[in-house]
Amino acid sequence: MVLSQRIHEAFKGTVERMTGPRTVSAFKEKGVLSVSEFILAGDNLVSKCPTWSWESGEPSKRKPYLPAEKQFLITRNVPCLRRAASVEEEYEAAGGEVLLDNEDDDGWLATHGKPKETKGDEDENVPSMEALEISAKKSLIQTNPSYFGGEEEEDIPDMEDFEDPDNLVESDPATLQTTYLVAHEPDDDNILRTRTYDVSITYDKYYQTPRVWLTGYDESRMLLQPELVLEDVSQDHAHKTVTIEDHPHLPGKHASVHPCQHGAVMKKIIDVLMSRGVEPEVDKYLFLFLKFVASVIPTIEYDYTMDFDLGSSSS
Amino acid sequence: MAQEEKSRSGCGSSSSTILQFLPFNSLVDEGFWHSLSSLKLNKYGIDDSPIPLTGFYAPCSHSQVSNHLTLLAESLPTDENNQSSMPAISRGNRNRCPVPGTLYNTNTLEAFHALDKKSLLKEEANKIWEDIHTGRAVEDSAVLSRFLLISFADLKKWSFHYWFAFPALVLDPPATLVESKRASKWFTSEQAKSVSAACNDWRNSSITADVPFFLVSIASNSHATIRHLKDWEACQADNQKVLFGFYDPCHEKGPGWPLRNFLALICSRWSLKSVHFLCYRESRGFADMESSLVIESLITASQGLNDRQLVPNAVGWEKNKNKYVSRCINLAKSMDPIRLAVSAA
Repeated sequence: MVLSQRIHEAFKGTVERMTGPRTVSAFKEKGVLSVSEFILAGDNLVSKCPTWSWESGEPSKRKPYLPAEKQFLITRNVPCLRRAASVEEEYEAAGGEVLLDNEDDDGWLATHGKPKETKGDEDENVPSMEALEISAKKSLIQTNPSYFGGEEEEDIPDMEDFEDPDNLVESDPATLQTTYLVAHEPDDDNILRTRTYDVSITYDKYYQTPRVWLTGYDESRMLLQPELVLEDVSQDHAHKTVTIEDHPHLPGKHASVHPCQHGAVMKKIIDVLMSRGVEPEVDKYLFLFLKFVASVIPTIEYDYTMDFDLGSSSS
Repeated sequence: MAQEEKSRSGCGSSSSTILQFLPFNSLVDEGFWHSLSSLKLNKYGIDDSPIPLTGFYAPCSHSQVSNHLTLLAESLPTDENNQSSMPAISRGNRNRCPVPGTLYNTNTLEAFHALDKKSLLKEEANKIWEDIHTGRAVEDSAVLSRFLLISFADLKKWSFHYWFAFPALVLDPPATLVESKRASKWFTSEQAKSVSAACNDWRNSSITADVPFFLVSIASNSHATIRHLKDWEACQADNQKVLFGFYDPCHEKGPGWPLRNFLALICSRWSLKSVHFLCYRESRGFADMESSLVIESLITASQGLNDRQLVPNAVGWEKNKNKYVSRCINLAKSMDPIRLAVSAA
């Protein structure tokens, strides 16, 4: 974590401690949620998409303004079959939807390939994010796929050393011998594609919006370094809006979509819906929110595609 | 599908196709290692007596990945001073069906490697066998799937060596596969609809959501009911078609590992020869008859299974990349105070 991010965290923490949680609804005006609206929308998500559930997290990290058993939402073991970078290349080549990320089209999708003109100043409305340096370098992608045997841990012995002295072998005809390689797509670099993710949604009191966190596991279900999670993030976001920070309810560092623009993006989505004569309902907020998040993490197949009414339609 | 299976394995007659199970896999959340470290430092010290654990699993819910036996921070007993502390688990979470387990955390790497894995596995298998014979497994079916974890927590380097086992009682001779079909093909469409609805009700009730073994009884009018294992006799009296259902964590042809001890229960308690199983799987959190399987199996190994003294052989040490070796994870990046201070600067 770099210094500016740290300072911002300290500032945010202080503000969160000194101000009370939002109690008045500003869902339509600002695209933000009050605490009770977050619970309402979370309950709706859990009932419509039961792979999501409420959890209480670490007791020491519990937020007093949230019910103890409803601190955050999580869905575990979500497949991610391939890396976002490779998908984007194919997608753009096929003229598919691309996230527009400039001042006017904040977070919206272009449906016919990347727009021909891209503005040079597209990053400028994302405050405090420019300074973030996240190393999703190509070299990192090729090596060190998990916490197992990182290059700096020379003292981790080779796998062969773990071979058991009593040479445990179980022979049993009823055990199906599975092959370890279970990749769905062959690839020349031999990196397996099937990772899984735990996706969680917390309430960010400062920005008054939900916030998404990602915990990745490699193909043998070993924890992924948060930096490697960035391979599964849309490359437009990997270097600025997705950061690696302490999870508010769980131990360790996790990748997270920074919520500073969430309110503004949600406001735009709500405005578009209203202009179409749809009256958005606050308990559907998280479905809209997850659809927007899908543009940031396009290859993680968490449950958001259910058919639902966006709100009571007057048309 | 059964035809395919037979021709692929090259076995001529159906009776010689062994019913095979896909091994369970483990997944450990970072929080588990954080909690274990703090317990080791603040509570256990060098006491290396076995620690009760609770693992979690759920039916497979994505067609591309199996579910795993997951350990979380909550899997360990709480840090408080109450001595006989079991993990404090709130029941009823459909995505967290509890599985009891035992942790042997050693004080040295040498002691970790020197653990007698065969006898530890046998000990855990004995518990399952006892629960089958005392009837506890029928009352609380979660005890049918136990697990074992051996570990060495190197708190100086923040690295953890560990190895899981999912003890499964071995039938001798093994059960044979007669037929395996998608549930949507095996049931009539009316039955499939009713089974789906009944399973969804079962999964949505906080009383039954995390009960992983159950009975599916189908009346002559195609109406399906899900019942507890202890209602087996009642189902017989009604002269209904009964399938043995379980939450199947695996996504492939399956069946998954939890069926093994269920099979041992069925043949030692009810001495059945021909059994139908429902390998229950979900899609997006709802019953999915397309990915769920109905398996018909023949059990020939009933001799000896009624004898409580004669514990069947057990298998189940987890393979790591196709080898019987332990795993190691290093969490210095998130646990070492010096590194945390450096990264924070």
